[in-house]
Amino acid sequence: MSIHDIIEGKKQWRAHKARVKALPPDYQIVYKEMQRYLFKVGPIDLPDGPLLPGIVDFFEEGAATGKGVLELIGSDVAAFCDGLIKDSPTYADVYQESISGEPGTAEN
Amino acid sequence: MDDLTEMLKGTLEGCVLEIIGSEETYGYAITRRLNDLGFADVIEGTVYTILLRLERNGLVQVTKRPSGVGPPRKFYELNEAGREELAKFWAKWQYVSSRIDRLKEGRG
Amino acid sequence: MNFWQTITGSDLTREWKAFEARAEALPDDDYRTAWGQIVTHLFPYGDFTGRNLMPILDAALGLLEEAAADGQSVHEVLGDDIRGFCSALAGGEGARTYRDRWREQLNRNVARKLSRLGG
Repeated sequence: MSIHDIIEGKKQWRAHKARVKALPPDYQIVYKEMQRYLFKVGPIDLPDGPLLPGIVDFFEEGAATGKGVLELIGSDVAAFCDGLIKDSPTYADVYQESISGEPGTAEN
Repeated sequence: MDDLTEMLKGTLEGCVLEIIGSEETYGYAITRRLNDLGFADVIEGTVYTILLRLERNGLVQVTKRPSGVGPPRKFYELNEAGREELAKFWAKWQYVSSRIDRLKEGRG
Repeated sequence: MNFWQTITGSDLTREWKAFEARAEALPDDDYRTAWGQIVTHLFPYGDFTGRNLMPILDAALGLLEEAAADGQSVHEVLGDDIRGFCSALAGGEGARTYRDRWREQLNRNVARKLSRLGG
């Protein structure tokens, strides 16, 4: 499955978006900004891994306790995102590996 | 004590493994346990990123259970690989802390 | 043989055509122009089949599609420096700096939008 599949009309993705819409406004804002960041960074398990649905699970639980989203994840949202994908290679890593012929990392 | 974030970074995962190892539990309860222990700055988001990594690395067994309020909760339990990882953590901790103690006592 | 010829003359044709169809479906010219620029700037990163770029192009197009669906401007998503943006997507020169910029952008956007919400 590609990013395209998750966006274009796949039933799962529509259900996923509906869940996001049902979150309190502050959670929705943070979710959308996080998703945009993750699309840029491009961890390879983004399209069909548990990453995005997992965030919504976690946000639903947090919202149910009446907490604000930043109380839940801290104000450094980027650090939270980086924690989520810490040991996950990105498309850029895979690409850099493909041209150098050896394991590499885009962070270098 | 404040400002422990940097120092805790490498050890928090081990602490979470230890907490899960003593009984099956969920994210919020793990956070509370760490807070009560005196790590007041640890927030749920941080614990969530750790749990996600443990799951991704196949160290825990995850079960969704209904909760009294809100959506179902994810409960975590160590599997065999998780128990091995926990044993390794304590061995490393023992090594590092004994060396640092030696240094402090001037026997290093 | 350049990237374009390669791509149209290989098994990637089908995939490439799918990209084009998606780009055509973007809601306005700004987005389509931006897509064209992204392709142009990513082009030097392609190897002789271009296959290694496919997931990166896919994610970039997905980013545009989602942003368009949310009614965000292209500028809001890509910033001023499309070349730098593309280099970062491919993990090339300056990727680290760019990722730091994305981090700052994320936190800034969150702070701004949450304050607009009236906390």
